Amino acid sequence: MPSVLCSVSTRGRTHTTLPMALQAIINQTRRPDKLVIFDDNDDQQDLRGDPLYKQLFYMMQAKEIAWEWLYAGKKGQHHNHQMANWMGYEWVWRVDDDALPEPNVLQNLLKHVGPHIGGVGGSVLTPPQTFDGAATGKIEHIYTEPNLQWGLIKKTQEVEHLHCTFLYRAGVYDYNLALSRVAHREETLFTYGLHKKGYKLLVVPHAVTWHLKAPSGGIRMENRQELFAHDEQIFRNTMAFRDQTIVVLNSGMGDHIVFSHVLPHIKNPIVFGCYPEIVPSKSIAEAQSLFGDIEMFNIYGKMHRWQWKSSLEDAYRKMYL
Amino acid sequence: MILIAPFAKQLRNGKENPKNYPYWEALIRLIDEPIIQVGVEGERQLVADFRKNLPLTEVRKLIQQCKTWISCDSFLQHLGWDEGKPGVVLWSVSDPLIFGHPENINLLKDRSLLAPNQFLWWEHTEHDPSKFVPPQDVLKALKSLLSTQELVLG
Repeated sequence: MPSVLCSVSTRGRTHTTLPMALQAIINQTRRPDKLVIFDDNDDQQDLRGDPLYKQLFYMMQAKEIAWEWLYAGKKGQHHNHQMANWMGYEWVWRVDDDALPEPNVLQNLLKHVGPHIGGVGGSVLTPPQTFDGAATGKIEHIYTEPNLQWGLIKKTQEVEHLHCTFLYRAGVYDYNLALSRVAHREETLFTYGLHKKGYKLLVVPHAVTWHLKAPSGGIRMENRQELFAHDEQIFRNTMAFRDQTIVVLNSGMGDHIVFSHVLPHIKNPIVFGCYPEIVPSKSIAEAQSLFGDIEMFNIYGKMHRWQWKSSLEDAYRKMYL
Repeated sequence: MILIAPFAKQLRNGKENPKNYPYWEALIRLIDEPIIQVGVEGERQLVADFRKNLPLTEVRKLIQQCKTWISCDSFLQHLGWDEGKPGVVLWSVSDPLIFGHPENINLLKDRSLLAPNQFLWWEHTEHDPSKFVPPQDVLKALKSLLSTQELVLG
């Protein structure tokens, strides 16, 4: 049975929708192996003494769900998801703090996982809105069609990106930490990255989550237009290169030499680097201008997270092939 | 001619790079061959022929012209590998299984001396001469490599 971490990132909803979301998770027919709650509140509190949370924590314990409440870095939910991504579980089920999964959601999502699957999502319904579900789920239509998950999904369908809450294969792709605290488009960038790595993304029936879209808290606490514009710009720039493999080599000469042996095997690469005489490339400054923080391309960061023991060349292969 | 690149990249905090081999002077005294040093401005000169800040194409030419090369874990060990010319690499705290190439002779004193985390900045690691093999071991490896090449060349 695959190991599953359930990850909830929360802000501003401690006493509104979060307890309902936690209860819905606790009552799953297939319990997650662990529940981690990332507390992204400005004022972080120890809730073990709170009458309601005390009961919720007791229920988790009674149902043998390991749980952890982490005071997060207040940098946005993408940072929290990234932590969950690398906590050592095979799959991560991410649930919003205003999302109420029906009791069978995790069980039914897990029925679809397999060696070539990168993510599985079900319907994410916001009452009283309705949507008939006619959409392609392809990234090229993201500006023109509704998301398939907004409707009641009646059949399994392969898509290129997922929305809001879903189950995903952990530790194969990174969240884009260049985004601002609002983390606009974070799940689209992340799941499309899984798709580009060659993993299938599915939307499936019989896995309904009610998304309350609580009017307070969440990313709505950050309503500064420039943050959304910043994130949208990164998204659009990334999408502009969607048919290419983006490579950023912000590293030494030796690394470039090693990478040059991997380059011929990369599908349609666009390289940003420091030594164009070794690897023909655009500048690192251009990469920073297009994608913001380029730390997600840091091969040493990846090797550290992968607990890498093999060669640098193999690490580049894992990252880009 | 033997080509040497004695020093790894200078650290931003001004400390000695822990990958720098500490016994170059003694090693150079043992080598009975002309030696050319390559490196960058500001590095310590160890032999009469020190060529600084060469374009990469010139270093590649020198690699092709030399009998072999010796370096610490720096760009030359990658460039020599890229040119298909094996050399001797002097390791200490970085892991040759990760950053090296099996085509070279990789001299590591002991794997227990490797830095626990290979992927942090080297600024966090102290330079420790006791973590390197002695010059005599390097000379032995060099002779072994040269004799193999002579055998191959017939």
